[in-house]
Amino acid sequence: MPGSLQVPSLEELNVQEVSVSSAVLKAAAHHYGAQCDRPNKEFMLCRWEEKDPRRCLREGRQVNQCALEFFRKIKTHCAEPFTEYWTCIDYTNLQELRRCRKQQAVFDNCVLEKLGWVRPDLGQLSKVTKVKTDRPMPENAYHSRPRPEPNPPIEGELKPSPFGSRLFFWSW
Amino acid sequence: MAAPKVKQDMAPPGGYGPIDYKRHLPRRGLSGGRRPGSGAGPGLGGSAGEARRLLIEDLEARIALMPLLQAESDRRTLRLLRQNLDEEAKIMKDVPGWKVGESRFHTDRWVPPTVDELYYLRPPSEMDNEKFGLQYYV
Repeated sequence: MPGSLQVPSLEELNVQEVSVSSAVLKAAAHHYGAQCDRPNKEFMLCRWEEKDPRRCLREGRQVNQCALEFFRKIKTHCAEPFTEYWTCIDYTNLQELRRCRKQQAVFDNCVLEKLGWVRPDLGQLSKVTKVKTDRPMPENAYHSRPRPEPNPPIEGELKPSPFGSRLFFWSW
Repeated sequence: MAAPKVKQDMAPPGGYGPIDYKRHLPRRGLSGGRRPGSGAGPGLGGSAGEARRLLIEDLEARIALMPLLQAESDRRTLRLLRQNLDEEAKIMKDVPGWKVGESRFHTDRWVPPTVDELYYLRPPSEMDNEKFGLQYYV
């Protein structure tokens, strides 16, 4: 039976979004990935297991909350080097990180001194990780129908056909 | 046979000089050794391993940002769906037997809505922007 589409109400979806531009996001990406590792992985695992965005709204809100706190911390402690860094990235044509190593070094040092964040090494963020979570594994995320009953066992004796195959018709 | 009265036009003694058929054009461009891309000299972009490391760095930036963007996009989709359902209830309230948000699929699983499904009640410029916005030259 086709049911009706269940969508949560607007109040539930109303979250303060991280309204920054792409250059800012890219400039902060590596530190963000290291700092908000846990909520991010939790959300992606939920998304992967549940296959349904409606069930992962809570995790999504935590991701958003973590990102907001992350950017607030940068803004209070390292606003100036960070602004210089992302401005530089914004000015390079393809938002290339390699053109802004000088500003990046200043920003990294500031973050390391004030907040104690270390920039993750290359390959650190793309590692496959195990996530420990309290959310139970969903049963039947795809809502598949149950498998059909297996065929009943055949009663009676099975013998080969006495006149050969019926598919063979070239008999004269 | 009498001597000819007319002197036949002949080649000068010793033959003609060489015919000037070669091109006399100035050499253009750099010499072969300095042409870009010739030989295995260091180009502008650095070595292949360095390019790969830079690529991985970019990809890791995307990996780190993906949950944030995904969560935001999920919320946006659901918000549009919610608004569409409310609007549908308002539009179709006089039609008897109309079920708001009736699923067309014989399943309970989440079916990702299409762009047309999300924006059909909105101005066409929004749908165009959603469909082709990233292909415009900014």
